[in-house]
Formats: sequence, structure tokens, C-alpha cells
Amino acid sequence: MSRSDAADPPAAAPTVRVRLFAALREAMGWGEQQVTAAANPATPLELWQQLDLAGAWLAATGAPGGTAPTGEALPAGIRVAINQQFAEAHTLLADGDELAFLPPISGG
Amino acid sequence: MPPTASSAAPAVSMSVSLHPDPIDPCQQLEQWQAQLQSGGAEQPAATSLFIGRVRGSTAAGAPLDALELEHYPGMTEGQLQRLTAACARRHPVAAVMVRHRTGLVLCGDAIIVVAVMADRSGPAQRCCQELLETIKHDAPFWKREWSSGMGEWLLGHTELTNATTA
Repeated sequence: MSRSDAADPPAAAPTVRVRLFAALREAMGWGEQQVTAAANPATPLELWQQLDLAGAWLAATGAPGGTAPTGEALPAGIRVAINQQFAEAHTLLADGDELAFLPPISGG
Repeated sequence: MPPTASSAAPAVSMSVSLHPDPIDPCQQLEQWQAQLQSGGAEQPAATSLFIGRVRGSTAAGAPLDALELEHYPGMTEGQLQRLTAACARRHPVAAVMVRHRTGLVLCGDAIIVVAVMADRSGPAQRCCQELLETIKHDAPFWKREWSSGMGEWLLGHTELTNATTA
């Protein structure tokens, strides 16, 4: 099934395993939760807004973490992974997906 | 992960691993070379090596107690494999080794070791540098600096352009 194909959405809003890391995890006080999306279909950006992660990110970093209710992007530096692969914020989520919000990477 | 079957390039030997405990870069290099030699093939003439160690000070200039490296179990290993394979496809190299620490890393200890073997120095050096840069950008690791008992997450990586003065 193509992830970008919106023609065949699941009947119910997807439940996904949301994972947070590093500063974002500590700002929220949790690293992993099962979350049922508020709408169907659902995207990582919508889960970001549903879980109010923007407010926590702003508080943790002082960086502009908020998107307006009609915002169309995650804050700068925040990346998304679905099932442990980088993905776009507007990718459609499937039931059972593992969705991770990744704060700015600092490897090497 | 070996190059795909559709690739016309010779197979590149890849050795990528994470280490929760301290690593000796020279020992890692020797073991890797011994492993390659055990295959019986003649070793390529050029080897490029990069060792990254923890600085003694924080980004703000305070004395550093230690650096904590968080990763995303599963994704980090997979991403290192993908980045290494992609980089090896872009350069005519024979073998690539990546060792990356996780957990608490003390000042002076190695965080990352990258080594690349090729027939010529240019590809070995270019692949080594490019792989290091792409790991900084695209491998899910997060650093927290510990200083005077306080921890602070770093929000980003050192840019290549700043690397000589950082």
C-alpha cells in the first residue's frame, strides 16, 4: 500500500505508537504512548498538534515550537520517523505505525 | 547491508556497530583489518581514518564532565547502515568501518571512528569525510553535555564549515 495514497483509508482513526527522544521526551515527561488519532486520516503533523508537543518544545528550548491551528509544518529541526524511517510530516499514518518525533540530531 | 544486486560496482565490505562501552579506536581498526585480511583478498592500498573524541569543554566553554549520547534503538543502527551503503556507492571504495558510542562518554574518549579503504587516497578520504558529515545530519543521535552536575541537550550538530574552529 502506498503511504501517500489517500484513496483507501482505514475505517477507524489509526492508533499509533508515539515515541519521543532526548529534550522532547523530557519536556513531555513520557517517551512512548499508544495514541489514537483524533481524525481519520491522520498525519504526524496532526498528532504533533493533538498531543500539544509544540508547547512542550517551546518551553524546553525557547525556540518557536508552535504551529498555528492551521499551521502546515513542524518546528525547525523537528523530524519525523515512521516505522524507524524518516518520513514527511504530511504522510498518512496507518494503524499500528510507530511514529517518532526526533529533536535536532547531533551525531558524530 | 550489501549494495543491491542491480549495482554494477563491486561489493563493498561494511562493518557498522554501536558501543555502549568505551572503544579503543586502534584496536577496532586492527580487528577490522584482520577480519578483512582473513578473507584472503589483497588489502586496498589506501586507508582513511577519522577518530572523534569528546572535548573537555561544553559548547558554552564550561568544563565538561561527560557527554551523554542517546540514540533510537533500531532506527539508529538501520540508518547508519543505509548512510554507509549510500556513501560507499558514491565513491569507489572497498571497505568501510563505522564505530559509534552510545551512553555516557568521558572527556577524551572516542565517540566515533570511521575508516575507509580504497585503491586510491582521494576516494578513501572523500568517502570518510562525507560519511562523517552525513552521520552528523542524518543518524539519530542526541548529545547532552554534563557540566557541574547539570545536563543540557545540544540542539543540532557542528557544521563542517565551523569544524576547524569548533
